[in-house]
Amino acid sequence: MFIGNIMQKFMISFLLVISLLVNSGLVNAAADLDVNTPAISALKNSMQSRHAQLAAHYASGAIGLTADGLIAVRDATALPLKDRQGINALVAAENNDRNALYKEVAAGNGHPEWQGEVRNIFAGRWIDKAQSGWYFQRDGGWVKK
Amino acid sequence: MLRLLSILLVVWLSIAGQYAYAINAIKIQIGEVDTPVAQLKNARLQVDLKGKSPTLILHAEVKPINEKVFIPFDLKCGQFNTESIGQVDCLDGNFTAKQVKAPFSVNFASDPHNLSVDILFNTASFSDESGLHAGENLTGQVKLAAKIINESWQWHGLMSWTKGELFWQPFYFGKAGNIFEVNGTFKSPILNVENASLIINGVGEMTGTAQINTNTNTAENIKVSAKDVDFDGLYSVFLKPMVEKSVFGNLAVSGKADWQFEIKNLEPRNFELNLRDANMDDKNGKFSFKHMNAHLPWDYDNAKTINLNYKSGHLLKMPLANTNLSAEINRYSLVSKQLTLPILDGALNLSDVSATMIADNWYWHLRMNLTPVSMRDFSTAMGWPKMQGKISGQVPLVTYASKQLNMDGAMTFNVFNGTIGMDNLKIDDPLGVVPRLHADLLMRNLDLAELTKTFSFGDITGKLDGDVKNMVLENWKPVYLDAYIHTTEGKHLKKISQRAVENITALGGEGTAAALQRTFLRFFKEFNYDKIGLSCKLRQDVCEMGGVESTPTGYIIVKGKGIPSVTVNGYTQRVSLEDLLGRIKRITDSNSKVIVK
Repeated sequence: MFIGNIMQKFMISFLLVISLLVNSGLVNAAADLDVNTPAISALKNSMQSRHAQLAAHYASGAIGLTADGLIAVRDATALPLKDRQGINALVAAENNDRNALYKEVAAGNGHPEWQGEVRNIFAGRWIDKAQSGWYFQRDGGWVKK
Repeated sequence: MLRLLSILLVVWLSIAGQYAYAINAIKIQIGEVDTPVAQLKNARLQVDLKGKSPTLILHAEVKPINEKVFIPFDLKCGQFNTESIGQVDCLDGNFTAKQVKAPFSVNFASDPHNLSVDILFNTASFSDESGLHAGENLTGQVKLAAKIINESWQWHGLMSWTKGELFWQPFYFGKAGNIFEVNGTFKSPILNVENASLIINGVGEMTGTAQINTNTNTAENIKVSAKDVDFDGLYSVFLKPMVEKSVFGNLAVSGKADWQFEIKNLEPRNFELNLRDANMDDKNGKFSFKHMNAHLPWDYDNAKTINLNYKSGHLLKMPLANTNLSAEINRYSLVSKQLTLPILDGALNLSDVSATMIADNWYWHLRMNLTPVSMRDFSTAMGWPKMQGKISGQVPLVTYASKQLNMDGAMTFNVFNGTIGMDNLKIDDPLGVVPRLHADLLMRNLDLAELTKTFSFGDITGKLDGDVKNMVLENWKPVYLDAYIHTTEGKHLKKISQRAVENITALGGEGTAAALQRTFLRFFKEFNYDKIGLSCKLRQDVCEMGGVESTPTGYIIVKGKGIPSVTVNGYTQRVSLEDLLGRIKRITDSNSKVIVK
């Protein structure tokens, strides 16, 4: 009985220590999304300069934010005719930068394997930051913010 | 021609009291009509005969044969005339449907062997569901005349517009003032365009032929030719959409061009682009070619020789001088024995060049030999401090595959009376947003007097060796390296000026101090030294510093010897690279002086 009590206490302490370690591990495992490296700042600059071309298309609903942290053409008819020719290349270039950004942020945190998690956090962030009237994807459909 | 599946036809004859038995309105209702090109249903047609001239209103739902859903539309004619069988005029008309609004007038005439349609449209707008074929505010005309000979239609069409814009994926016609004139035959399902002339505002005249399969809606064979057209218009309307995702997708161009291409059975067969006095500037600033003349033929079956000449330009800021290039292109591969790119007073000679395109990606390899380029001109062109010396080098093999450039062999820069060798060079995605350069640098016998004079650092006499290993530049900025620069072994004059000591002290920031009393420092202009050395292990932005020797509290940067001598110690072991570069910039900026108080 006595030995059983000691064992029980020991087990509880052991589990406590383990849970503390695991929890602290989780705390440390939060990715720093604002980590800065020359690659990240080059990507951010490139995206920033492209944003001037994209902003009007978010507002018109021609393009929207996807659930996986990218953008997609939602309704080409909302675009001025002159912008329809280049829209696919513009979206592809933005998505190239976004994919590269998630990879670089994960690498900048020293954890390249976090790319998926970083992408998910960014996807939520882009939608949170989106202006009202912009479209984003939820459950496979488009939702107007 | 029409196969009527089921027609519910109801004709109401409205009889006016005043004119007994005169018809003043006809109403027709049609349930469903099937034609080879479209289905029509729920049609309600009303012809009103009360006014001076009859009017017509038609409401129906139409489904082109390749579409999935019926589209409702309304057609109104303010003046509707049908004086003889097979002849219909609809003047002051208006056609509306979802995404279509087209005020128009039409004259239609047909008999069993002839057909003619003249349509004038005024500020008409249309779009398909996807928005990939659309026009806005178009004012112009369409004329079509056709006659049947031996079960084949021979036709002549003309389309022109004087106002508005048109997008027909992937082509955008932003300027009005275009005339498309086309002759051909039609025998289902092949629409044969025998002779097309396209006069496009901002481009010039193009001619062409095509075979279009109307069942699959694909152009199976196309041949297009344009002579002496405007390169800017040609690029923005026709070439840009084809190269949009390549490095040539975002250019500002000018000059004159000839262009022709042929597609057979949906496969490209030949292509030719000739440029005359053309300019090409990448809007992302990666390259530019001025006064370019080029003959760029390509044929699926036969090898062709391409020639290109430009008077000047730049590639990644590297200035390019007058250049003639020639290569043989054979289907998807390109070879050239020798390509010489003059750069300032030297030249980059590329030999045994071989390139091939596989699945839209380029793979190439070549040998490289850089004949001496003067550092003075090169550094000026790159916006660096003016340097003396020459760069030259030989690289046995450069390869480019999967967006990665690899160099086997070293480049040597003969600068500052010594050499800087660059080895193990690898660049990931050199023209991308984040080029990443990997290299090792080997510096030998650099003349410190020249070096310090160039960078206005304060005079140091002596020689310097250095090794920079595992260097990684991201977007041309260092993020990883193991560097150690130090005084060259052996006997040579070693002097350091007061100003250089002050600058090295300032470089180390708060944690660096000359071992001399600062007041004492002022008595001498120059000191003797034994060794100078500085090491940096850079990881992201943090540089772990070291010197020629370690001390219990730090490291020695300048170790003195003889009289008067000076020793400079560093104490801060971890320095932010950004701070360090900021300090170097302040020091080397010749207008500023570090003042020791």
